[in-house]
Amino acid sequence: MSIEIRNLNKRFGATVACDHIDLDIPSGELVALLGPSGCGKTTLLRIIAGLEVADSGSVLFHGEDTTHTHVRERNVGFVFQHYALFGHMTIFENVAFGLRVRPKSTRPDNAAIRRKVMQLLELVQLDWVADRYPHQLSGGQRQRIALARALAVEPQVLLLDEPFGALDAKVRKELRRWLRRLHDEVHVTSVFVTHDQEEAMEVADRIVVLNKGHIEQQGRPDDVYDRPATPFVLQFLGDVNLFHGRLGHSPGGATAHEDVTYVRPHELEVLGEPIALDGAQGEAPVWPVTFSQALTVGPRTRLEFKRDDGSYVDVELPRARWQGLREQLGLDAGQRAWLRPRQVTRFVAGGQVAVPDDPAAAI
Amino acid sequence: MTAAAVTNVRAERRAAPKPARIPSGDRPAYSTGERRTATEEPAWVRWLLIALALGFMTLFLFVPLATVFVEALKKGWGVYLAAITDDDALSAIKLTLIATLISVPLNVVFGVAAAWAITKFDFRGKNLLLTLIDLPFSVSPVIAGLIYVLVFGLQGWFGEWLRDHDLKVIFAVPGIVLATIFVTFPFVARELIPLMQAQGIEQEEAARVLGANGWQMFRRVTLPNIQWALLYGVILCNARAMGEFGAVSVVSGHIRGQTNTMPLHIEIAYNEYQFAAAFAVASLLAGLALVTLGAKYIVEQRVHRDKREALTQGEPS
Repeated sequence: MSIEIRNLNKRFGATVACDHIDLDIPSGELVALLGPSGCGKTTLLRIIAGLEVADSGSVLFHGEDTTHTHVRERNVGFVFQHYALFGHMTIFENVAFGLRVRPKSTRPDNAAIRRKVMQLLELVQLDWVADRYPHQLSGGQRQRIALARALAVEPQVLLLDEPFGALDAKVRKELRRWLRRLHDEVHVTSVFVTHDQEEAMEVADRIVVLNKGHIEQQGRPDDVYDRPATPFVLQFLGDVNLFHGRLGHSPGGATAHEDVTYVRPHELEVLGEPIALDGAQGEAPVWPVTFSQALTVGPRTRLEFKRDDGSYVDVELPRARWQGLREQLGLDAGQRAWLRPRQVTRFVAGGQVAVPDDPAAAI
Repeated sequence: MTAAAVTNVRAERRAAPKPARIPSGDRPAYSTGERRTATEEPAWVRWLLIALALGFMTLFLFVPLATVFVEALKKGWGVYLAAITDDDALSAIKLTLIATLISVPLNVVFGVAAAWAITKFDFRGKNLLLTLIDLPFSVSPVIAGLIYVLVFGLQGWFGEWLRDHDLKVIFAVPGIVLATIFVTFPFVARELIPLMQAQGIEQEEAARVLGANGWQMFRRVTLPNIQWALLYGVILCNARAMGEFGAVSVVSGHIRGQTNTMPLHIEIAYNEYQFAAAFAVASLLAGLALVTLGAKYIVEQRVHRDKREALTQGEPS
């Protein structure tokens, strides 16, 4: 079941939650709505579910206008950040709820309900907790039950509002992979909201980056990461170093002083002497810096360099590479070094996008 | 209550592991003060506070309560039974029960509706409504009664109309019921609002998305979540409805055997020096209060548990 959103607007007082949003979600995909808090992603999800009413615009399920369909009749599955399980019901009754409240004519009999519920509990690998109560379960288990409950009504679309937001880091990672596998099994069109770019990259088929109520960019995780459409997307999807001003010559010879060059920390190479790229002429983008400190967290090392203008540049590399580099260059605090980017991203002032992938081309 | 709390603290201290024995040669055995923790008061202060609390409770609570029962049974069971099976007494008991049975269910409906509106929706004048619900707490019951006399009494706004249609509100049962409803209406709503605010609306939304209609959502999700708080509100409401004196006294007219409730009957009997009769009916009311207190204590435990659960909901355990 595909979802189409047409020119959707929603305001809360002075805050714009959805600003002329157009979005197509193809059938069977798992899509992430990604953005900082307050960007309108949860509002958009709640409008799709019918829990919130848009000021204008429409929502279509499989080409059919559902803008004015009541939340009860939309047949969506919704998973809340804080699970929203019914505390006074057993896990079994929680999952069975959506079937039990159906009108008599479409309500399955008890045996059918039992079969369906047990089947779903097996799907989320929790069939052994059927007789327990929500408060006896861990956070991760509760969220899996919430998912089983949402799937019990055989929804056309599955909507998840920060589904792993209330869980601790380790459980969150496990559940992410589990959700991905589950989606490959059930194949229901799914939309989930997250502010965690790593989560979005890992789980989703497609990412929709939202900022201040409008869509900044959408596409496959790799596309969005490698070819960010706006500085916002670039900065939101991971750390980045900013270099203000001109970087060598622009291809046409034109220069703009407001230009900003972005380089991700892992795209920088540390050199002991200022060597330009092979075959490059003229002003090569090699920045003289002073080594400040190294921080090692697990397998990655983050190096901090100070530029001559006082700003700091971060470089990230694998721990083993750093150890080799330290021996090779004898890097110590206060020592001179040079940084060469492997890939830079530039946005010409005025919002026009220019993405020279190869730094040599910019020279 | 205070005494009980103090005793509990002491019991916990006693249960705590004792500090290592101080060798008698190094320290004098009488300096028990050495073993005190920084936040602990000396023994005489603790005993003084407990004695004070207990003394006050005895003087102002236990003795009067005991007096009611002692006085009631002073002249034997025969007089006691005669006093409460007297026609006027029976009619007073009946009227109290009628007023309670009408006002409590009405206040349950009103309380649930008000709490629902205030906690699940946003609307203009929400704070005003919240304040108005508290009005009966801040207005003297006598004034509450007077309001109804001024509105429904013979000289009141609707007095003539009511007389023309042969309806009697003031100095009759409807007036007593109205006054009782007025003084008891905050209890249920006041009890439900904090709990429902803590619980939020996520579970209701979940029920909606899963296809429940309004009644199914209320019956299967909301009501089980608030049932203990609701019962607690009903108990408080009930206690006040049975014991209300001021407002009812103004609208009742004190017609013996017709518009006297139990508290009014007690007052009249007392004023006529029928102490045995007054105390007999008073002991009934006091007995009801004790039962209410017991029920309240049990229900209170459950309400606290619900509130705790609502507040910790969503946190990974």
